[in-house]
Amino acid sequence: MWRSALREVSELAEQAASLAGPGALAGVTRERSLTLRFAANRPTQSTAVEDVTVEIAAVQGGRVGRATTNAVDTDALADCVRRARGAARAAAGTGEGSFPGFGLDRDPGTPRAAPARPDSATAELAPGAGGAQLEAAFTAARAAGVEAHGIWTAGEVRRTWATDAGAGAEGTTDAFMKVICLAPGGRSGYAAHTARASAELDGRALAEEAAAKATAPGAPAELPPGDYPVVFEAHAVGCLLELLAGAAFDGLAHADGRGALSGRLGTVVASPAINLADSPSSPRTLTRSFDAEGTPKRPLPLIQDGVAHAVAHDIRSAALAGTVSTGHALTPGGDPYGALPTNLVLAGGGATGADELCQPIERGILVTRLWYANVIRPKEPLVTAVTRDGTFLIEDGRVTRPLRDLRLTDNALELLARVQALGRRQKLTSDGELYGRRFASGVVCPALRCGAVRFTGAAG
Amino acid sequence: MRDLLPDLIDSAAARADYADARFVSTRRERLSTRNGGLHELDSNECEGIGVRVRLRGAWGFAATGGTGRRDAEAALERALEIAAEQPAAAGSVALAPEPPASGAYASPVERDPFAVPLEDKLAVLLAADAGIAAEPGVTLRIARFEALRVHKLFASTDGALCEQTLTECGGALAAVALAVDGSESQVRSYPASHGGQVTQAGYEQFVALELERHAPRVAAEAVALVSAPACPPGHSTLILAGEQLGLQVHESIGHAVELDRVLGREASYAGTSFVPASAIGSLRFGSERVGVTADATSAGGLGSYRWDDEGVEGRAVPIVREGMLAGFLSSRETAAEIGLERSGGCMRAEGFDRQPIVRMTNVNLDPGDAGTLDDLIADTGEGLLIETNRSWSIDNRRLQFQFEGEAAWEIRGGERGRLLRNPSYAGVTPEFWGSCDAVCSAGDWRLISLLDCGKGEPGQVMRVSHGSAPARFRDVEVGVA
Repeated sequence: MWRSALREVSELAEQAASLAGPGALAGVTRERSLTLRFAANRPTQSTAVEDVTVEIAAVQGGRVGRATTNAVDTDALADCVRRARGAARAAAGTGEGSFPGFGLDRDPGTPRAAPARPDSATAELAPGAGGAQLEAAFTAARAAGVEAHGIWTAGEVRRTWATDAGAGAEGTTDAFMKVICLAPGGRSGYAAHTARASAELDGRALAEEAAAKATAPGAPAELPPGDYPVVFEAHAVGCLLELLAGAAFDGLAHADGRGALSGRLGTVVASPAINLADSPSSPRTLTRSFDAEGTPKRPLPLIQDGVAHAVAHDIRSAALAGTVSTGHALTPGGDPYGALPTNLVLAGGGATGADELCQPIERGILVTRLWYANVIRPKEPLVTAVTRDGTFLIEDGRVTRPLRDLRLTDNALELLARVQALGRRQKLTSDGELYGRRFASGVVCPALRCGAVRFTGAAG
Repeated sequence: MRDLLPDLIDSAAARADYADARFVSTRRERLSTRNGGLHELDSNECEGIGVRVRLRGAWGFAATGGTGRRDAEAALERALEIAAEQPAAAGSVALAPEPPASGAYASPVERDPFAVPLEDKLAVLLAADAGIAAEPGVTLRIARFEALRVHKLFASTDGALCEQTLTECGGALAAVALAVDGSESQVRSYPASHGGQVTQAGYEQFVALELERHAPRVAAEAVALVSAPACPPGHSTLILAGEQLGLQVHESIGHAVELDRVLGREASYAGTSFVPASAIGSLRFGSERVGVTADATSAGGLGSYRWDDEGVEGRAVPIVREGMLAGFLSSRETAAEIGLERSGGCMRAEGFDRQPIVRMTNVNLDPGDAGTLDDLIADTGEGLLIETNRSWSIDNRRLQFQFEGEAAWEIRGGERGRLLRNPSYAGVTPEFWGSCDAVCSAGDWRLISLLDCGKGEPGQVMRVSHGSAPARFRDVEVGVA
């Protein structure tokens, strides 16, 4: 069924591109999604969305003007084209630009990422399936004497692009469930799963994992601000890498000299154990085969054996940098915030798990996840975040008791330089933040041990 | 549409305990220039219908980009199906009563921003860009314009049928300077960072920003910051003004008094609150100088409207009075749960495809009696002044925070002194507001806008304003990052 629906969306993109004329790009994104929220072992909100976005990017004089609509009749498409052309005309009036145009594969010799594979059962978006997972989570939480809070969500997104020179289309599905368990004493625990198929979501298992963290024995300890060795579980690692994506791998900021890796490509920026890439066709990620400009996606090594290797570009940032797009456009013509890798994969190491990573630590911290993470100064890149939903004290090589949450303020690249060991098992992590038109993404990464992390205060 | 929505609601009335429907049409225009050329020129339009039903305490919400009768009826069916398929919502209460909303409203606009030619807007931005370019140390120049118009039609099974159109317009500029060796990057923004200053008004407000006039100062400060001394660590008297004070109100007061958070409904994402639901009249939130009002009627505020997205009339709600907690931001459901007579009218949705959730109206710090900013600086002796935000972070109970501004000025001998870079500070919400010993007078009270407040699942970005006059805080930990 999704194949015929994808054809419809492709035809819409081709119709829009035809109306827009030579050099223009038409992108169409159709979203069907369902999100069920819950709090304190009861459902609270639910949102089902069915909508389509048509985006026209017209080029004139090396400048791009864009227009969007969610109406798909011919008149609405024609109006959208008119607005895009008017924007491009006004843009061209600011002087000759450097945008070279859409739709050309400037690196045709390199293998492309394979198209994504949607899951037809997930695409059904059955509310009963989601409701059953909520019920399973509630049952497990009640059995553990805790409250379950969280979401279950699934989505099907069809994306197409078309120009007068070519076209592309793919359908994706994604699913995410998280459970935060709150214990009567105020402690909390977290578990989440991100996948391509909703059948992989297991509300009961997630609630049990989160409940175990929330009810871990022992009175919470407190640590004063200072530097401590830390074992970051995969969710926390994913959060740090997403921060780094914006601060270090954005090709636009890099070209401006504002990026954390400006002037540092080819130099050692992390531990030799760090191998980080954008891997759009890795089966562990939510795969994608092209970006918002129709540029084919390919694997992009970012840090190899601790050496900074590359940054991500869209067509505009690549033109500024004198290179070619790496297929990381978020918006046709270039997003104001630059180009970003959206399929980060951090290679695993040899440790069997968090327990083994804790073993060399005499006194340190195990962090389940980070929250309210923000870049303070991207050039350094200094970041801050608070620990949340499962922070524990490590003493003499093992987790001994809960720990009050703390604020981390440190240099994200230097954190990677202080990595001592990584776990063997990688996990697809995500916070399930689905703003705007659904674009599910995640970071594949293992847990890791960092020799020292700077904590600047308490939290929570 | 004025026939379709009431028909839809009539159809829903027999099948749900409550239902409402919103038709929302949104038009947005964004322009920005970058180093003298066009950076972004977007013209976005979308419209659709969102249908919300309540069935045995469980909510179902479905949205469709289609605007025909069949589309709307399909959305209703989907919303009913979703509500019915969820586990039972034990312990739910009836919604707080509300008289049916009726009528039409449009926010004031002197000059329609969408009627102004693109070329005219670009000319203003390029003039501002040129003003920055005169400063040779600046490596990146950005100037922005944006306009937004939202038209909403709302109907509910409680008999509401109302229509409103809200128009917003504004802009910003920013200058980035790099150290010669590339080791340091500093930014200065005007009138605010994170998208700038937007007002519920027309093009006249964009013109009133006078971007070109402020450009040379912004550029000079960005360059000066690169070589300015770093804010030293320690404890200091702190004066916050403009966007930084607005964001402080937003993060540590506004979010903390959202009743859905207080009741634990946002624990899965935005977090909870250190404020108990039973704390009205008993929780000391700040010093006696601190008064806060959530006001959906503030002229020009992005949190202003005639009705919220469940048909409750927007009004002013006291939040803090003489330092004591006085109220919450609430919805019909959350208000009923803690026994309030009426919702605070704070339910807002980002668009037709998002369910309304409790959001801030204009959460304003009431003016004090400390005179002007210059008066306050003169009265302060030694301290720091921070006015534009660069980074923010606060824990999920809205208790422990850490912010960093773009720039600070040292205050020495009651005068504004040298510029300091990287001015960070940290605190604990009630202690911080408890240390507030002066707020400037009404003449220095301004609304600032915040354009990127994220909350909800799926995510919703909301726009809000905060009014404040510069305020002083004693013994604050600074230089923490």
